[in-house]
Amino acid sequence: MTWLTDNFLGQHLLSMLIIVPILGAIVIYARSSWDAVFVRRFAMGVSLVTLIITVLALMAYLHQSDAIQNGGYTLLEQANWIGSADASIHIQYKLAVDGISMPLILLAAGLTPLAIWGSFTSIQTRQREYYALMLLLHGAMLGVFAARDLLLFYVFFEFTLIPLYFLIGIWGGPQRQKAANMFFIYTLAGSLLTFAGVLYLGWKASWIAPTAGAASNLAAGALTFDLDVLYNLAPHLCSGEQIGLFIAFFAGFAIKVPLFPFHTWLPLAHVEAPTAGSVILAAVLLKLGTYGFLRLSLPMLPQASIELAPYVATLAVIGIIYGALAAWIQTDVKKLVAYSSVSHLGFCLLGMFCLKAAGLTGSLLYMINHGLSTGALFLIVGMIYERYHTRELAEIGGLAKKMPILAFFLIFFTMSSIGLPGLNGFVSEFLVLLGTFTSDDPKPDGAGPLGVWYAVFAASGILLGAIYMLHMARGVLFGPLKEPGHGADTSAGLTQDLTRREVGILVPLALACVAIGVYPKMLTNMMQPALDHAVLAKVLPHDWSGDRNVDATTIQNQTNQNPTSRKRQRPVDGERTVQTRKQATATQTTLNHIVGAR
Amino acid sequence: MELKTLAILIPLLPLAGSALVGAIGLRGLKDRSHWLVLAGVTAALFCAVSLFYQVNTELNRGGSETAAAIGAHAQIDPSQQVGYGKLAESFTIYEWIPAGAADWLNVTFRVDPLTIVMLLTVLSVSTMVVMYSVGYMRDHHGHAELGYERFFAFLGLFVFSMCMLVLAGNFLLLYLGWELVGLCSYLLIGFYYQKPSAAAAAKKAFLVNRIGDFGFGLGILLIYLTFNTLDYQEVFNMVANSKMAGDLALSTERITTIALLLFCGAMGKSAQLPLHVWLPDAMEGPTPVSALIHAATMVTAGVYMVARCSVIFAASPIAMWIVGAIGAATALFAATIALTQFDMKRILAYSTLSQLGYMFLGLGVGAFDSAMFHLYTHAFFKACLFLGAGSVMHAMAGEIDIRRFSGLRKAMPITYFTFLISGLALAGVPLLSAFWSKDEIIHAALASSTPWLGWIGLVTAFLTAFYTFRMIFMAFHNEERLPRGVEHAHESGVWMSAPLVLLAIGAVFAGYVGVTTGHGGFLGMFEPHGAFHHFLAPNFSDAKGHEMTVAAAQGVAHGAGEHGSESHWLMWLSSGLAFYGIFNAWYFYTRRPGIPLAIALASGSVYKLFYHKYYVDELYDLVFVRPLRRLGDMCYACDRFVINGILWIIAAIPRAIGFLLRGWQQGAMQGYALGMVVGLVVIMWWVLANA
Repeated sequence: MTWLTDNFLGQHLLSMLIIVPILGAIVIYARSSWDAVFVRRFAMGVSLVTLIITVLALMAYLHQSDAIQNGGYTLLEQANWIGSADASIHIQYKLAVDGISMPLILLAAGLTPLAIWGSFTSIQTRQREYYALMLLLHGAMLGVFAARDLLLFYVFFEFTLIPLYFLIGIWGGPQRQKAANMFFIYTLAGSLLTFAGVLYLGWKASWIAPTAGAASNLAAGALTFDLDVLYNLAPHLCSGEQIGLFIAFFAGFAIKVPLFPFHTWLPLAHVEAPTAGSVILAAVLLKLGTYGFLRLSLPMLPQASIELAPYVATLAVIGIIYGALAAWIQTDVKKLVAYSSVSHLGFCLLGMFCLKAAGLTGSLLYMINHGLSTGALFLIVGMIYERYHTRELAEIGGLAKKMPILAFFLIFFTMSSIGLPGLNGFVSEFLVLLGTFTSDDPKPDGAGPLGVWYAVFAASGILLGAIYMLHMARGVLFGPLKEPGHGADTSAGLTQDLTRREVGILVPLALACVAIGVYPKMLTNMMQPALDHAVLAKVLPHDWSGDRNVDATTIQNQTNQNPTSRKRQRPVDGERTVQTRKQATATQTTLNHIVGAR
Repeated sequence: MELKTLAILIPLLPLAGSALVGAIGLRGLKDRSHWLVLAGVTAALFCAVSLFYQVNTELNRGGSETAAAIGAHAQIDPSQQVGYGKLAESFTIYEWIPAGAADWLNVTFRVDPLTIVMLLTVLSVSTMVVMYSVGYMRDHHGHAELGYERFFAFLGLFVFSMCMLVLAGNFLLLYLGWELVGLCSYLLIGFYYQKPSAAAAAKKAFLVNRIGDFGFGLGILLIYLTFNTLDYQEVFNMVANSKMAGDLALSTERITTIALLLFCGAMGKSAQLPLHVWLPDAMEGPTPVSALIHAATMVTAGVYMVARCSVIFAASPIAMWIVGAIGAATALFAATIALTQFDMKRILAYSTLSQLGYMFLGLGVGAFDSAMFHLYTHAFFKACLFLGAGSVMHAMAGEIDIRRFSGLRKAMPITYFTFLISGLALAGVPLLSAFWSKDEIIHAALASSTPWLGWIGLVTAFLTAFYTFRMIFMAFHNEERLPRGVEHAHESGVWMSAPLVLLAIGAVFAGYVGVTTGHGGFLGMFEPHGAFHHFLAPNFSDAKGHEMTVAAAQGVAHGAGEHGSESHWLMWLSSGLAFYGIFNAWYFYTRRPGIPLAIALASGSVYKLFYHKYYVDELYDLVFVRPLRRLGDMCYACDRFVINGILWIIAAIPRAIGFLLRGWQQGAMQGYALGMVVGLVVIMWWVLANA
């Protein structure tokens, strides 16, 4: 593997990953003389080159066997970005990947070429700008997942808004401007609060001398956003600060996810966005929110995370059921799929906040799986829309007769989405439920803050998911043939059933679904050590030390006075670990009552 | 071949056939699509037979070793057999899902007697049905129906899924098979997808099953929480010792909860009350599918699962009572509905419900082996009945209402005779297969602590004989009458009649593996509990704590000694009931056709209740579907009005501020001048005041 990592380009694979699509975007935008066909092919080529670089990065990553086993990051690139002469500001350009970000980078890099390929016929106006924006979005997404500096993360995070704003606003449906504005302002408003949290953390890092040896070249008192420094900040934050910061991060990420009740921008944005925009939005951009929780909120604010986990999980469970029920009554297929995202992302957050290895793995895997199956569903809906110019269940029906290949794929991805065992959705859904169900069980890796009842209510989402997805499949595919008067529009070179290009788009996704469903080990082997190292060990360390201990004991005392606490003490090694986790169980008990009453 | 290789080959062969047909069926195979699937399923059947011999050898060797160790005539606890102990250990194919640090939920197979019984039943019926389908899925000119290759691809996929379900060595893989057979059922019920009723039935089947799976899934999670493993043998060992993970004591409440949650799944899959609603509607699928999936194999998965978890169920008397009670209730309930239906396939569907009820009744009183025995005999005669109904349907151009035709016995002799034989078996006529198995269940129920379950079983036996022969007399006897549009009835081709004959032979003789001879007994010859039970005995020997199980186990050990002469009154009674039911049907439907109508009119509302299937569908619609739908409407309305309203209000704050401030930026010179003057005045006043 030395041939790969021993040269200049090999050492800057991650930078190339970000720069190549952005350069491609600039080139496309600058060459106004290129004709549309060439622009498409060029954009597709650039995204494929990016995919190749991603695969190379994956190979280089897999080569670092110690990084995989210990869950640390690798492919590190570090440079000063913003600094001052007296070293009081130390903001870095720092990129690296670990087992959490690598799968997400693979997802983004794998899906974007397909989304671009899927736009070949559906986008007929201003193609140059369109493909330039798609590539710009691509670069920004990859940047978010690769960043190891909080400010850099934030810059990429916010930057994704801009291309998508234009993608929705220019190439969207009839209400595109309203949708684009709502999407932009809503998510921006949330992430500005996040920005306040980011600044506070940086300031706090400068205020407390970075005792942690993670960044050795750091002068004392420097304003820094290096994640390795910030991860060690938790003991220095009192519980009030942690909760405040958690809420600040929550504002940005929960809207992005979107968590109930901050989800209303999503159906609108999805319905109005062009197909590729919907695909990227659902498959990757929503994951920025969950990734943010996983990467920032949980490990940096462990105490607040444990304390607030029952509340977040309750919202997640409500979202699962609420999203499913709302999806069921939709008449617009795309809106139905959009609401299903609300339901699915609830699972994602639930798995994260149960703080069990199984749940975290399930949650991260869920991000990938949701990207694959929902992305594919949006693509299929787009293919129907291109032919019939409608997505209303009242206007189309019985398409299986005329479009058997489409029917096959729609059923396939429906099954993937409702968690049929053997396909990808099941593995992650089961792990999330398993983690949540066993969350308060101290075996084998410590007790988390949730409990059985969260899983019971969430599991109803499996049933509800089947209800709305089969409702859709039945409406679109089965029954007597029903199509708008004009029949299928084949003017853009389409055929009645899927063309080879369209089949070519869906087949890789289907293969990935089967592969993950049958043999998820190849991904989970990458994820699990990283999640253990970068999240679980930081939230629920088995060895408590420093100021946390004092806080924890205080809270423990308060908890013990709470008469509603009905948790049994269980024998566990590391008595203090159990005590600290008890703080959450009181809130959880109350919450169980609330959830139970519902 | 090695046991492990065979076990892997069994599911993979049908899958390979199915995948190939799916890939090249449309382009290359078309009318010949059946060959690949038929080859795959038949090969799997041969593998299963070979597996049976291996397991049998293993059991006997282990048994003789143990026996030799203890002494030739000592009583052997079957679970202590060396051979079985080895078989009960599941073997890992590969690591599947990580459940935490270094804890994997694996793809494991378990090949033991119970697996073998299921495999042989499933694969032999599957082979017959695939053969039959070759003839059935064509029109009278031999041209394949639309979707021919799709049909066979799904059928192969189903056989794969069912084998996975049966071979699974842990609960998670069981769940995989469980859901995959549900998918195949969905796809095949909806095979004629353009028919709205078929599309609706497919959806309903999947969703009702999912309701059961909701409980089943939670049960699996609870098993993991309790035992920290999902492997069958590890769980069963812990339950047998009343232990939880970490050596804690296992409470009865916990094990009852687990058993009942698992049973939810069985209720969905095996269509027991109150989740039975999907099965009659599932008859919208092609008839071979009804025979294979909705009569012989998939619907019995619930029975198989409870039998597989016999240790768990036997540990909870409450759960056992519920299983038995629901089984008995379903048996009676479905039989009463079957009395009033006119659609041949629906009658058979309700009959299937009723027979599945028997099986659960047997499980509930601890007669696990008898329930499995009934499952096995039922597969043959019920598949034969369904295929016979399909043959009639094929000849009648799709008409299946027994009011529209009659007297078919001359025109369709093979169909008639096979249907009659299987009907006799279903009715419980002596010396045919179901007689043995059904009687065992009723006998076990009468001997248990809940004998009233047995009496329900007997009443149902009478009803069964009556409705079966009501159908036979109406369809095949009396003068020949054909539905409009059918010129002449004709017998089906060899692809269809050969499986009918083979299954009818099975319906007659399949029961004899479950009886012993030479101990006096019925007709001075036969005695229940034969080789079949002996073969299965090690599987159920761990299910302690239930009086009947212990009795059954002893029965095996003593060569059925306790079924002495005092129990034969039951055999005479039940055969009497069967004949009485047949006689009634004959009298009502051939001699005095006015009587049924008179009864229907006289019983008025009761008849209507039966005819409308107790209005369960309507009730569900009213109680569950509509409220849930309303809730969905409310959620969506809440989105649009409440949440977006709040957002609008929040957004209105900056907008209002802007509106207020807008007055100052009106662009007129005087305004700005005034502002400057006021500002200057204020500043000067402030400066002067502070000076």
